[in-house]
Amino acid sequence: MIQIENLYKTFQHENTSTTVLNNINLHIQQGECIILKGVSGSGKTTLLSMMAGLDKPSSGKILIEGEPISKLPDLFASQLRAKKIGMIFQHFNLFDHLSVRENVMIPLIPSGLNINEINQKVTQSLNLANISHKKEALASHLSGGEKQRTAIARALVANPNIILCDEPTANLDRTNSLLFIEILKELHNLGKTIVVATHDPLFDNVSFSNTIIPMQEGTIVEGTVVNE
Amino acid sequence: MNEILFSNPVIVYLLSELILFVLLLIAFIISIRVLIHWDFESFSPLQFKLEQQAYLVTTITLFVFSMKFLLLLYFAFTVDSLASLIAGAMCSAGVIDANEYGSPLLALKLLILFGLTLWIWVNFYDLRTKNYQWFKEKSWIFMVMFIFITIELLLDFTYFTHIDTHQPVSCCSALFGQLEGANPLPFGLNISTLLILFYLLFALVILTLLTHQSLLYIVANILFLYIAYFAVVYFFGTYIYELPTHKCPFCMLQKEYHYVGYLLWISLFLGSYIGINSAITALWLKEENQASIKIVMSLLSFFVLLCSTYVAVYYFKNGVLL
Repeated sequence: MIQIENLYKTFQHENTSTTVLNNINLHIQQGECIILKGVSGSGKTTLLSMMAGLDKPSSGKILIEGEPISKLPDLFASQLRAKKIGMIFQHFNLFDHLSVRENVMIPLIPSGLNINEINQKVTQSLNLANISHKKEALASHLSGGEKQRTAIARALVANPNIILCDEPTANLDRTNSLLFIEILKELHNLGKTIVVATHDPLFDNVSFSNTIIPMQEGTIVEGTVVNE
Repeated sequence: MNEILFSNPVIVYLLSELILFVLLLIAFIISIRVLIHWDFESFSPLQFKLEQQAYLVTTITLFVFSMKFLLLLYFAFTVDSLASLIAGAMCSAGVIDANEYGSPLLALKLLILFGLTLWIWVNFYDLRTKNYQWFKEKSWIFMVMFIFITIELLLDFTYFTHIDTHQPVSCCSALFGQLEGANPLPFGLNISTLLILFYLLFALVILTLLTHQSLLYIVANILFLYIAYFAVVYFFGTYIYELPTHKCPFCMLQKEYHYVGYLLWISLFLGSYIGINSAITALWLKEENQASIKIVMSLLSFFVLLCSTYVAVYYFKNGVLL
């Protein structure tokens, strides 16, 4: 499903080079839930960006369902992302001046589907993320939890196999964070492959099978925990 | 010499050419390194760096090449603006003929424009493959174009620094007129056969374009381009100027003729270049593009229609042909 081999990422600034990912090797199977844990600066977000094809590595291989996303030209990386990957961000990245329904609809605009098909998929996605009651509200009028559920609905609307979440609970209170984890559980039950980058201790005891992978200074360190 | 070099359009033109050349030089140096080490199958740090650099080169080249199209139009405008400074020159024809570098420079610019269009086509297909399939082909075209553009820059400076404003030049009537009864048309054609050939070749171009006969299309379009040039200068142009003795490919670029020359020459050359290069890529890379057929048909049909309209309008207004 997701195969990462000998992955390095180095940022060059003037004469200084900083290695933010150092020889990452990871094999994630279909339906697995991986929780990348680590403090800020440990490389979690960079790794997630590479998986999504938003950034290119300095060297190494990333295969998404056999496709080398790290080598694909932008056009093809975008197409692959649109079909197979849903992303949920810490700051939600919603359009404040659009309604919840419109925000969720956006990933389907380039798909070529007709408006009836789009509406059908949007409704399904809003129900799954438990935000359908707010579908006509402007994104700017939502609470943090509602914004995050809108972001989930947007990530799910194209029915991707892979969900990548970058610090998804960092801007949520405990109640909303637990709600978010419940939704992740539903997605896990639907067979989605989930990768979460977080430092939130709530993810230590989630009620579905997962693998916690600790990261530190750009490397995967010892202490991987498999929760069945 | 100073009068020419210190005229505003020449300063702007030469400075723009120089800036674009510096950008291309950077792209050229990077390209050599990329071409030597390119191995798309590799996941090494060097290959990832080369892919980033290749992206940079493509961006620079696409920008510079797009600017070169605009700069060719500005060159035509610049040369035309110099006519008032040179003794005897009535339009660009005299200015181009002011020294031995003008005509080769103009021919080279048209050749470069052809090469740029080919590069843009190959780049278009290259960016639509997952593995940059046509990267090497695209880079080699760029290398060749860089050599031509270097020569062009040298010729640009040589041409503008060698125009003597006090040395009288020939006007367009002398350059394109029928001197001592000599026939200026190719293959000993007369105007009637030239026109028949013009419309027949246009029909052949459209036919071969629609039936995807790439090789035949290339031959037909090259012939059409050649014949169309003479048809405009020696027949249609006289209707634009409304004077049977006025034969010039440049005067029509002037304000008095509503700058119609720009429309005519752009539609003819751009239509032909896009069409021929599209056919070349169809034969060479086995890649076809339906949109190019529509673009070429629109541009060339517009060209033929515009030429013919001048004749028709003149006839309806005056009841006679020139």
